Amino acid sequence: MTIADATGNPTRGAAATASTGIGRKPAKPVDGLGVFLTLLTILGALFWVFPMYWALITSFKPEEDVVQPGIRLWPEHFTFQNYSFVLLNTKIGLWYMNSLVTSGAVTLLVLITSAMAAYAISQLDFPGRRILWWMILASFMVPIPALLVNHFILMNQFGLINTWAGVILPQLIAPVTVMIYKQFFDSVPKDFREAAIIDGATEWQLLWRLYLPINKGITTALAIITFIGAWNNFLWPFLVATSEPMMNITVGITQVTDAFGVKYARWLATATLAALPVAALYLIFQRRVTQAIMLTAGIKG
Amino acid sequence: MASVELRNVKKRFGSLDVIHGVDLSVADGSFCALLGPSGCGKSTLLRMIAGLEPITCGEVLIGETEVSNVPPAKRRVAMVFQSYALYPHLTVRGNICFSMSLAGMSRATQNERADRVAKMLQLEQLMDRRPAQLSGGQRQRVAIGRALVRDPEVFLFDEPLSNLDAQLRVAMRLELAKLHQRLKTTMIYVTHDQVEAMTLADKIVVLDKGTIAQAGSPLDLYNAPANRFVASFIGSPAMNFLRASATSGDGRTLDLTFAGNGAMSVQTRNASTTTPGRDVELGVRPEHVQLTGTEEQTVTLTGTVTVVEQLGNATYVYVDTPAGQLIAEADGAVRIVPGTQVGLQIDSKQVHVFGADGAII
Repeated sequence: MTIADATGNPTRGAAATASTGIGRKPAKPVDGLGVFLTLLTILGALFWVFPMYWALITSFKPEEDVVQPGIRLWPEHFTFQNYSFVLLNTKIGLWYMNSLVTSGAVTLLVLITSAMAAYAISQLDFPGRRILWWMILASFMVPIPALLVNHFILMNQFGLINTWAGVILPQLIAPVTVMIYKQFFDSVPKDFREAAIIDGATEWQLLWRLYLPINKGITTALAIITFIGAWNNFLWPFLVATSEPMMNITVGITQVTDAFGVKYARWLATATLAALPVAALYLIFQRRVTQAIMLTAGIKG
Repeated sequence: MASVELRNVKKRFGSLDVIHGVDLSVADGSFCALLGPSGCGKSTLLRMIAGLEPITCGEVLIGETEVSNVPPAKRRVAMVFQSYALYPHLTVRGNICFSMSLAGMSRATQNERADRVAKMLQLEQLMDRRPAQLSGGQRQRVAIGRALVRDPEVFLFDEPLSNLDAQLRVAMRLELAKLHQRLKTTMIYVTHDQVEAMTLADKIVVLDKGTIAQAGSPLDLYNAPANRFVASFIGSPAMNFLRASATSGDGRTLDLTFAGNGAMSVQTRNASTTTPGRDVELGVRPEHVQLTGTEEQTVTLTGTVTVVEQLGNATYVYVDTPAGQLIAEADGAVRIVPGTQVGLQIDSKQVHVFGADGAII
């Protein structure tokens, strides 16, 4: 068969390609295991996403529809009254601000203190460095809930109950951030450090103008995961902030009650509002969050 | 500009002595190469001059000032690293301005000085690029620019050309030579490549196991090596060494016999150590070995050609003799095939005799 071009001349190359099949990608054989794993992942994702979906659609249902028997995957009547109630009748604005301030401060302070501690342990030679490092590693093994009573007594003695400082301070213990920073500072080539020393850099300048900028990606990843962690933290803010105006958004959800019983739709509307900033952050910095989770799990991506 | 002087400088890492009391003087404006094999301590010595490595004992002087305890930034030295060590998060301009920025200079001064250096090194078009976007040669020039902008009294180079390909290395070598001629700043250059040292430096310091084997001008080291180590390290192809027995001597000359009945009479450099009857080594460079016919009267040794390397401008002929293998440099146009029997005529005025301890006799 001969294929002719617009001028009527036969295009030999095309004919050859058509007849011999040269230039076509060979069809890939179906990878059975790959298909199975993909289906398994989709199933897992659906299983995981369903409660979120359920919470979201419930928040748009009228309260009486929520308690109807049977499973209704799509609301029969759409309403925004749960959201308007939460926004107009609760202190959600204050709770948001408290969450924003405390989570932002925790993130900033954790990054600053961790970077400085990691730099000192990684790059400086001082007596007790090794012991300090082992202490940081050991502190990683102590679960934070085990320290709740101590923290509460301490904050109470400092007079910091129902204050932002009281919410923030105990959340600054972040050995894993120190460990990750140290790991990355260790891997910065020695030549950079020496070149900067010859250029006249002090240790302080080495940290802020060399080590941290070189590891900017790690800082971003750690910042996001620390912020999300602080935003989602419930137990400590719940204990230390007992007055409603000082509550974080996660604790504030518990205040959306009614004298006439349980209000599921309102609760879920508040929970949706509480989760919104974190969900937005996650969507924007998806790759960085994944990287951060891999880092905290000890996988250097 | 300043001279550099090391007085009995030693370095010990734990129980390991790396530098054993080095005394060295580098004149103001000189280009000095520290040459030696890997592990001889040349980089350690350079780092001690820079202040990056504390000295165990001794004194380092830059100009008239003793700087052994002065921090690196205050020594008025600039260093170019083997890896270039360009800060990856900064642009070329950022790299060049880094030291000035740390010193708190105004942005205008920084830019003015950076632009001047960029013009000198033809970096104007690259100022906004990051190191990852530069070629090896460009990175090298940025590293030099970063050193240059500090207006140092001494430049320290730690094997700066070793990461470049052969062609670029030759080009950058020339750039460095021109730079030194233009700036006339004292430069200390660490290398294991004797060609780099010979072509760039006006003074070469050959280091061997943490001590100075010999220091002097490139031609001094080439023509009058102080010991077998220097003789073998300087020159490419390397010097030939033949085992010989000294049969007799009158204090200034020595009669040598080689295995296989070769013999020659040579002048010694060091009369006091001439001892007839001892085993010695004769060193001769390939260009001082001439190929002749086997029947010639002047022939020193005879042997069989094993390998012929034709470079165009010269031919290196490897000859197996009863006294050992010799390399002879012949004309580029010479035609000779392996297996040929040849005579070798050694120029007795261009030979070096080494004792069993490696010292020149």
